[in-house]
Amino acid sequence: MTSRVLDVKNLHAGYGPIAVLHGLDFHVSEGEIVVILGANGAGKTTTLRAVSGMIERTGSIELRGNSIAATKAPDIVRAGVAHVPQGRGTLPELSVEDNLRVGAYIRNDNEVNADIDQWFEVYPVLGQRRDQRAGSLSGGEQQMLAVARALMSRPSLLLLDEPSLGLAPIIVSELFARFAEINRDLGTTMLVVEQNAQLALGIADRGYVIESGEMFAEGPADQLINDDSIRRAYLGV
Amino acid sequence: MGKFQLTKGTSAYTIYKWAGIVLLLLIVFIAAFAFNDTGKISVLDNDYKIGLTRITKAISFMVAILGLQVVAGFTGQLSLGQGFFFGTGAYMSAYLVADHQWPWFLTLVVVVPACFVMGLLFGIPALKIKGLYLALVTLGLAAIFPSLILLDVLEPYTNGAAGKIVDSDLLPPEWMPLDGISTGLQRIPLVGRYFGDGDLSNKQEQRIWTFFLMAILAAICFKMVSNLVSSRPGRAIRAVRDNETSAAVNGIGLSYHKTMSFGVASALGGVGGMIYVAELGIASQGDFTQLLSILFIVGLVVGGVGTLSGAVIGGLVIAFVPEWASSTQNLPGVPERWLDGPTGGFILGIGLIVLTFVLPGGIISGVRKLKARVVQVLPAPIPLPEAASVET
Amino acid sequence: MDLFLQRIFDGLSNGATYALLAMALVMIFKATTLINFAQGEFAMFGGFIVLVLATEQGIPMWGAVVLGMLISAVLAAVIERTLIRPFDPADHLPLVIITLGLFLAINAIAGIVWRFDPRAFPELFPSGKAFNIAGATLSWYTIFTLITILVVAGGLTLLLNKTKIGLAFRAVSSNLESSELAGIKVGPTLQFGWAIAAAVGTLGVAVFVASPFRQLEPQVMVTGLIFAVSAAALGGLDSLGGAILGGLAIGLVQSIAVPYLGVPTELSLLAAVVVLLLVLLFKPSGLFGTPQVERV
Repeated sequence: MTSRVLDVKNLHAGYGPIAVLHGLDFHVSEGEIVVILGANGAGKTTTLRAVSGMIERTGSIELRGNSIAATKAPDIVRAGVAHVPQGRGTLPELSVEDNLRVGAYIRNDNEVNADIDQWFEVYPVLGQRRDQRAGSLSGGEQQMLAVARALMSRPSLLLLDEPSLGLAPIIVSELFARFAEINRDLGTTMLVVEQNAQLALGIADRGYVIESGEMFAEGPADQLINDDSIRRAYLGV
Repeated sequence: MGKFQLTKGTSAYTIYKWAGIVLLLLIVFIAAFAFNDTGKISVLDNDYKIGLTRITKAISFMVAILGLQVVAGFTGQLSLGQGFFFGTGAYMSAYLVADHQWPWFLTLVVVVPACFVMGLLFGIPALKIKGLYLALVTLGLAAIFPSLILLDVLEPYTNGAAGKIVDSDLLPPEWMPLDGISTGLQRIPLVGRYFGDGDLSNKQEQRIWTFFLMAILAAICFKMVSNLVSSRPGRAIRAVRDNETSAAVNGIGLSYHKTMSFGVASALGGVGGMIYVAELGIASQGDFTQLLSILFIVGLVVGGVGTLSGAVIGGLVIAFVPEWASSTQNLPGVPERWLDGPTGGFILGIGLIVLTFVLPGGIISGVRKLKARVVQVLPAPIPLPEAASVET
Repeated sequence: MDLFLQRIFDGLSNGATYALLAMALVMIFKATTLINFAQGEFAMFGGFIVLVLATEQGIPMWGAVVLGMLISAVLAAVIERTLIRPFDPADHLPLVIITLGLFLAINAIAGIVWRFDPRAFPELFPSGKAFNIAGATLSWYTIFTLITILVVAGGLTLLLNKTKIGLAFRAVSSNLESSELAGIKVGPTLQFGWAIAAAVGTLGVAVFVASPFRQLEPQVMVTGLIFAVSAAALGGLDSLGGAILGGLAIGLVQSIAVPYLGVPTELSLLAAVVVLLLVLLFKPSGLFGTPQVERV
C-alpha cells in the first residue's frame, strides 16, 4: 500500500442544528484521484467543506498522519490542502493575475512569478486576459482559473467540488482531461466530488458513493462503473 | 421549566392575564400620585429625580420607539429617522395649539395623517433601498430636521431658533376628584407619607391629568400595534422581515406592506412628538437632532427588538438614564470633572454595546427568561391559528 | 466670475475632508458591506489625539499627525478585534447597533475628557493666499488639502495593489470564502481595513480643522459623517476613486449650488441628503461602484 495522504474516520458535520454527515470513513492515497459520488443533498459538498475546515466537524481527519480535525481553514491550506469550492472559486473583482497571486498567498518563495508564467503557458487564454477581471471570463475559463489558483499554493492534496457544474459538456470533458494531466504531470493527489459519475470515474482510481450522509459503496473506479446497482442509481443507464 | 403551568384559554390563565393588567394599572395610578411633584431617590449623595413630568416624557419616547418596533422589529428594516417624525409631530401640535387654539388631542387629527403620509413618501424609496442604505437615508433625514426648522419660510410657524412656546394647559375637568384621591392615598397608614402633603396645587393636578391622558393615549397606540401584529397584515409584514423572497413567492405584496409599516411607524413618531410637546410646553429644534433618532434606536435595542413591552422599557431608559447620569455628581473613585461631562451618552453607548453581546434580545428577553422559571404558559390544547406566535 | 471661482476653491477644500472621510467609510464597506456609523467619531477622536500630541507634548505638527494616525489605527484595530469580529459579518443589524453604540460612547468620551469648548488647531499648512486667479483667491490651505487627498489616494492605491496585505484585503472584499480557502486569515485582514480607515479619517479631521476658520470640538464630525456618507454613496461605496470624486462633488454642491440657488446655508446638509437619496434611488451602485447582484 502506498502512504495515505488523507485518512478520515467517523466524520460528522452539518450546518447548525442540522446534521448532514453521519460518520463517514474514507481515505486518499498518494498520487490517487478519488471521486465521491452521490445524489443532490447526499452530503458531498459538506464532506469537502468539513475536510478543509470551512464548517464545524467532529471525527478523525488525518493529513499525512497529522490530525487536522480542529484546524481552521486558512491553516489547512498551509498544511497543503487546496479546495476549489463549488461554483467558481474565483475572486471576480480581481484580475486574472491577482487571482493567481492570491492562490500563492501562503507562499514566501520567489518562484511565484515563474509559476504564474507557467500557468499562462498552460492556459494561454488566461495569459491573454491576465489584466482582465476574473468575473469577465467565461464559466469554463473561470473554472480553469479557480483550479490554477488552487494549485498556485502547491498543494499536496486538491479538493474539487463539482467542477462540471453549469459547464457545457465539451468543456467538462476538456476540464477532466486537464485534471488527469495535472495528476500525472505534477503528481497532485485529488479528491473530486461529482454528480457526473461517468466522467469522474473515467479519470479516477477509486470511488466512494454516499447517500444521506452515510457511505453506501466504495471500490476501484472500474469496479464501480460496472456495478449494476450503482449504474442504475447514479449513472443513469 | 416553570414552577406554575398555565394553559391558554383556561380560567387560571385568564386570571393570570388580568392580574398582570390590574397590577400595571395600579403601578400607573400610584406613580401618578406618588411622583406628582419631584419624587427622588438618593444614592451616595446623588439625587435621582423621578418626577411625573419625566415619566410623561418617557411615555412620548415609548410611543416613538413603538413606531420603530413596527418598522425595525416587524419588517427587519432599520430606520434612523424617527426623530424627524417625532419633531414634525411636536412642531405641528405646538403650532396648532399655540396659534390656532386647538385642543391638544384634536391636533392628532392632523399630525397622524400628516406623519403617516410623510412616512409613506419616505417608505417608497425604502422599497428600492435596502438595509444599510435605508439607515443612511433616514439618518440624513433626521440630521436635516433642525435646519429645516430654521428655514425662513417656516419661521412664522416654527418661531425659528427661539423655539415654539405653547402655554395651553391640559386641565382636569371639574368633576375629576384628583384632590380627593390624593387625600385618600395620604391617609393610608405607613405608605401615606409617600403621597405628599395636603391639597394638590393646580400645577400638580395638571401634571397628573396630562400623565393620565398620555398614558391612555399610549395604551391605545400599544393596543393598536398589538392588534396589527396579530392581524393578517401583521403576519404578512413579519413574513417580509423573515424572508423577503419567500414572502413574495407566497403572494404577499412586499412594497405595500413595507411602505405601510413605514407610514404607521412615522405616524406613531408624530404621536410621540405631540405627547412630548404637550408635556414640555415648548418645541425647540435642538431637541430633535439625529442624536434623538439614535437614542430611539438605543431604546429599541435596550428594550428588545420586536417586542412591544420592550418599547416601554426602552422609553424609560432613554428618558431617565441621561438625566440620572448627569445628576450623578459624586461617585467614589471617579473624578468630579468626568462626572460633569456627558456621562449619559457614555452609559447608553457602552450599555448598547454590552447588551448586544450579552443580551441581544434586550432587557425584555432577560425578563422573560426569568419569568419562564416561575410561570410557564402553555398553548391552548386546540391550536388556534392566531394563538401561535403573538408577541405582546 | 471671480465669486464663482472662489466658491469652487472653497468647495474643493471642504470636499477634501469629505473625500478623506468617505475613503475611510469605503475601506470598511468594501470588505464588509458595513457602514461604520462611528467613523466620524473615530476621526474626531483621532483629531484630539493629534491636538494633544502637538500642543501638550510639544511634538512637531506633522509628527503629531502621523503619530495620531498610528494611534487611532491601533485603537480601531483593538475595537475591531474586541467588538466587531465576534459577530457574524453577514448579519448587519447587531453590527450597525455596535457602531451606533460606539458613536455615542466615543462622542461622550471626547466630551468627558476634552469638553465641548472649541479648540484652535495648530497650523498644518502655510497660511495665507497662494495665488490670485481672475480675482479669486486660491489659498495655500486649498492647495495643500488637494495635495493631501492625492497623496492619500496614491498611498492607498500602492498599499492595496503592491503589498501582500493589500492583495489579501482585495481578495477578502471580493470573495470571503475563496480567500479563506487560499489561506488568508479574514479577521486580521478586516482589522487592517479598520486600522487604515481610522488613520485616513484622523488625517481627514486634522486637515478639516486645520482651516483657519474652523476649530476642533467633539461635535465636529456629527454632520460631517452625513456629508461623507453622501460622498461615499455618490462615488459608489466600494470605490476609493469614487469616494474622492464624490467628496469633492459634495463639497462643490455645498459651496456653489447652495448659495446660487438661494438656499440658506443651513440647508447645505439638505443638499447632501438629497444627493444621497437621488443616488440611492436611481443608481444604488453610485457613479463608480460595483453593481450588487442579489441572489435569490
